[in-house]
Order: sequence, then C-alpha cells, then structure tokens
Amino acid sequence: MTGPEDTADLPGGAEAMAAEYVLGLLSEDEARRFEAQMAQDPDLRQDVAAWSTYFTTLTDDIAPVDPAPQVFRRIEGALFGQKRPPLWRQLMPYLGGAVAAGLLAWAVLQTDMLQPEAPHLYADLVAEDQGYTLLAHWAPDSQTFMLRRDAGVFPQDSALEIWLIPGPSAAPISVGLMQPDTLTQIPVPDELVARMSPGATVAISREPPGGSPTGAPTGPVLAVGSLGVRG
Amino acid sequence: MAAARGACRAREGVARLQKPPRWGVVAWVPGGARQEAGSGSMTAQTDIEDLIARVAMGDRGAFRSLYDRTSAKLFGVCLRVLSDPAEAEEALQESFVRIWDKAGQYRVNGFSPMTWLITLARNVAIDRRRRLSGAARPAPIEAADLVADTAPGPERQAMARAEAAQLAECLRELPPDRAAMVRRAYLDGDTYAMLAEATGVKLNTVRTWLRRSLMQLRECLSR
Repeated sequence: MTGPEDTADLPGGAEAMAAEYVLGLLSEDEARRFEAQMAQDPDLRQDVAAWSTYFTTLTDDIAPVDPAPQVFRRIEGALFGQKRPPLWRQLMPYLGGAVAAGLLAWAVLQTDMLQPEAPHLYADLVAEDQGYTLLAHWAPDSQTFMLRRDAGVFPQDSALEIWLIPGPSAAPISVGLMQPDTLTQIPVPDELVARMSPGATVAISREPPGGSPTGAPTGPVLAVGSLGVRG
Repeated sequence: MAAARGACRAREGVARLQKPPRWGVVAWVPGGARQEAGSGSMTAQTDIEDLIARVAMGDRGAFRSLYDRTSAKLFGVCLRVLSDPAEAEEALQESFVRIWDKAGQYRVNGFSPMTWLITLARNVAIDRRRRLSGAARPAPIEAADLVADTAPGPERQAMARAEAAQLAECLRELPPDRAAMVRRAYLDGDTYAMLAEATGVKLNTVRTWLRRSLMQLRECLSR
C-alpha cells in the first residue's frame, strides 16, 4: 500500500506506528518490519500492550452472544479430529480382537490400569529470588511430563534438570532435561509412572551440560513445587 | 506466580522513566492493564489466565472451560465486525484454533487474558472481513459514527473500567471525524485506503491526520 519512502516524513515515528499496528492500519510489509523492530525494543512492546488494552475497551459495549452448539464440535474436529484410518486398520479390531483382549487382561494385571483415568497433575514451581516461574504438568493419558517456563532466564553453558521426589524421605529421580526454548515434553518410562502422584515434589537443579553426571542432583536447586490435582 | 510476575513488570516500569509515568503504569501494573475486559473480578481474570496456562499444556478439559467462559463475548465481537452469523461462526472457530495453538505465547506480551483473547478474535474477524469485502466501497463517515460513544448506560457504568473511561474521554478531545476514524479502524477494520475514500481526502493526508491524532491520544492517555 505505502512504501517505506512514504512513511519517513510522517509524524509520530515508531510510537504512532505502534498504534497503527494495533489498529491494523499498516500494510503487511510495514507490519512485518514493525514486528522486527518490536522484537528488539521493549518500549514498543509495552506501547503495543497499552494500545491493545485501551482499544479493546471499544468492545466493552458489545453484548455477548452464545454461538450455536455445533461450533465447538467443529473446533474440536478441526483440532483433534482423526483422519479415517486405512481399511485394514479399520478391520484390525475384529481380526485382532481375541489377541488384544488377552493382551489387555495381561496389561491390566501388570500395571494397575483398572484404576479409572488417573488425574492430570500440576505443580507451580516458583523461586522468586532466582526469578523462575515454571508450570509442570503430568498427563497420565499420554504418559508425558511437561514443563513450561513462564519467567526466568535459561542459563548459558549449563543444563536444567528435572527431578521427581516421590516422598519425604525418597531420593530424587531424574525425569529429564529442560528444553531451553520450547515447552519441555518428556515421555515417562513405565517404572516412573506410578510415582507421579499428588504430593510428590518436582524440583529443578542446575547441572553441567548433558545433565548430572552422578544420577543425583549436583548443582543448586532453582525451583521447587509439589504435584496436585487442579479443578 | 502472580507476585513474581508483578515484580518483573514493576522493574520494567522503572526502566521507562523517559515515558509519561501514567502510560508506563497502565501497561504494567496488575489491576491496571491486567484488569479484565468485560469482568470486574480479579478472580475471574486469574481463572481465565489459569485456563490459558493449562490449554498451553494441551489440556482439552481446560480448553472446553475456556470456551464456555469466553466464547459468547468473542462471538459478540466477531458478529459486530462481520455482521453475518455464518461468517462470525467461522471467525470464532478460527479464533479458538489459534487460541489452542498460541496459548503458550500468551504470557510473553503483557496483555490481560481478556485483552489477549479479544485482540486475537478481533484480528481474525477483521482479516476475514477485509478478504470478503474485497473491492466493496466503504460507507461514508456518517453522523452515527460521530456519536457512537456517548454517555454510558447504567450497566455499562457499573462495569466501566478506568481504561474505558479514559479512552472515551480522550477520544472526545479529538476532532469528531478523527475519533470516528479510530473507531472505524478498530471495529470495522477500515484501512487507510478506505478511510481516504470515505473522507475524499488523499491517503497520505488521512494518514498524517490520523497519526497526529494517535499521538494526541497517547499524550492524553498518559496524563
């Protein structure tokens, strides 16, 4: 729409551009360049947050309207819908039914699977002096342990290791290493699954690159929290 | 968690002494910018924040709860922008798919949870409206635009938040046609080209006017 040469002598500079960005008045090209600039400039990010807060109030008068019930089903379908499996996979349950039933009975005996749907557990790990805010999440259905970093700087030249302490006198068991820049997702081995229970402690320690060489925490503990169920 | 975040924001606020103080305060202090749109309750805000955090970790139950709590407001916004129930449903669907995908990024931008959700839905709806309208001619700026934000009704007043009142007051300080342009850009997705056509003024002139007005608005909001 408007080239860079046209914007040079416009009033307001980057500060006016922050408002234009929130209103959606920049061309795609300008918006991309503004986003690059914003990534380097916390003041601009703060301006964008402030403008967004103010302009959002223009929607205060808009009355809520309940959407039709099928909308949520469509959203779920778009996000979690499964593609139709190939024909032989559809037949598998019948062909393999007997074998599967046998295997399931065996698995139930082995792993206490009869307990209906173990709850998801969460732990807020907070250590204000270290500046860390982390949220741990144990998803028993996918047997995955997740850790999200909301605040705190990932240290350079060292690893952050996640520990599970199942009870007051139990030794810490390593769950795995934190990912520096994404959500950490760790598949949990069967022998650890039973220990992911409410009240168990989750801790993060700083370790040499690659994790603790001894199998027990060696560095300082940066954040601690305990697992629990959330409504 | 909340305390740690507050402390973090306060530090950033201090670093911004060159900016008008009120502006800095609004953007960062809990209960200022972090007060939720459409609800006066901090508990409700914390709940929604918690739901977003759980959605970021792939919790489908939390996603359902977040939808139950917020979809009516977001659908209202989509309807306002698109004026067509079928299109608004599409926009709502796209918004919640994005909410699922982007929930992990929510905390980085310093928005209150409802500001984040409404901004996301509004942007989806505006994009859709622009794609749909294509070459449609924008309506001229009319009297209705100029008086769109008059005295608040009683329920509105009860819900009124500091930011809403401040913005309304500062918009009233602008020439009425400029305030109307701001509103149309936000709520109708008007581009500069559309505003230029609606006013019969050259695009760069409109842009110069509006940017001056936005700076005036910023100055007023910083008071």
